[in-house]
Amino acid sequence: MNCETAAALLPELIDARTDAAAHVEVRQHLAHCPHCQREFSDLRRTLAALEEAAPLPSSALRRNFYAMLEEEKHSAASAAVARPRSIFSSRWGWLLAPALAAITLLAGFQLGARFGTTPPATAPVVTDDATRRELAALRQQVGQMSQLVGYSLLQQQQGPANERLREVLVAAQAEKPGAKILDELIVALAFDPSANIRLRALEALYAHSDNAAVRAGVVAALPREQNPLVQLELIDFVATAREREAAPLLERMSREDSLDQSVRAAARRALAQL
Amino acid sequence: MATDTEQRSDHDLMLAVRHGELDALGELFERHHSRLFGFLAQLTGQPAVAEDLAQTVFQRMLKYRHTYRDDGRFTAWMYHLARRCAADHFRKTGAAPRATDPGVLDELADESPHAGHQAASRDDRALLQTALNQLDRDDREVLLLSRFEELSFAEIAHLLECSVGAAKVRAHRALGELRTVYFQLLKSR
Ligand SMILES: [Zn+2]
Repeated sequence: MNCETAAALLPELIDARTDAAAHVEVRQHLAHCPHCQREFSDLRRTLAALEEAAPLPSSALRRNFYAMLEEEKHSAASAAVARPRSIFSSRWGWLLAPALAAITLLAGFQLGARFGTTPPATAPVVTDDATRRELAALRQQVGQMSQLVGYSLLQQQQGPANERLREVLVAAQAEKPGAKILDELIVALAFDPSANIRLRALEALYAHSDNAAVRAGVVAALPREQNPLVQLELIDFVATAREREAAPLLERMSREDSLDQSVRAAARRALAQL
Repeated sequence: MATDTEQRSDHDLMLAVRHGELDALGELFERHHSRLFGFLAQLTGQPAVAEDLAQTVFQRMLKYRHTYRDDGRFTAWMYHLARRCAADHFRKTGAAPRATDPGVLDELADESPHAGHQAASRDDRALLQTALNQLDRDDREVLLLSRFEELSFAEIAHLLECSVGAAKVRAHRALGELRTVYFQLLKSR
């Protein structure tokens, strides 16, 4: 085999999809030919450079994606054939969802500390008294609603205990949890249908608010969040973490009529804190 | 439960999206958006354009979710949509890719949490992109598609509507060309 024939087949040898047993003659030639070895290493270097040169997206891509997804879900929901009118579509809907979340919280987890006088040990101190008062007021409203709603709905909402997330939450308490653990928390924050779980995930993320990826994840979750209680907590997070990336979003939220008044007010206050 | 998504394959997730569980697309986004963006950024040479195109690809996944097939492969479908979006872009702008401003690439990379990707200097990255831009668009495309070893050559051939052998030859020839241009640029700087 001559160099010309061998050189033409070198890109194929580099390709991981090429069978290791293929092109035995080329491999034999390569083993003894310094010229082809140089060519081979140049190709390898080019491929590595190609890989290295791929830029990574800015955090705007994730933000825009989740905003788009949320919009699409809304239009898909409104396009659906008239569903039976549920208690959630009443004007109390926004209150009921947090009501259920809050009941679950009180029953299952001791998240009370988030809303009470002592902030959790892992979280940066929440300095905004007004926010805390507001949360306390909201919680009271929620308590009243829960008596109206009764417990049958609660049963539906709770579902099986989420063992997997519990493990993640435990792992997140490690001194330096891996990126995978943080990713799982961010995914839970963005996706979990239970407001309770989303709050738990957010609480665990507080300890890692110095991590840019965590902050970006929380900012991404904010526009998708429908539950006022969780919205308030997310706003609280970005304000405490001083996440300036959130400024345009908070600006929009502070003027968004469809949002709960307390959420709009919290967005305004957070803007001042950034 | 959404936290089960970790165990679900791309294909299962996309089938779920097709059946109306739109949130499943979020997991697919998390798994694939970086590579998709990298593909589009290197194909167009313009990261800002690539972000818009990547967003459009995910938008089209939702819009055309009913066309996703039971025997489909998610990544192949994603690159199929990505190629179409990029082709639309090229048609609209009539644009050949521009020499990338190294500052743009650097800025984008700095926002990323993956410090490893910053190992290459901004000059190296810009140089490679300049070399890529000198390839024919078709060559650049087949090279970038084949770089993602998650696609088989059968899938690449299907995307490009050519034979498997032709896809291989084209991809490997494009790599050889890139090597030539890249090393010329390296020497001349
Ligand atoms: Zn040789």
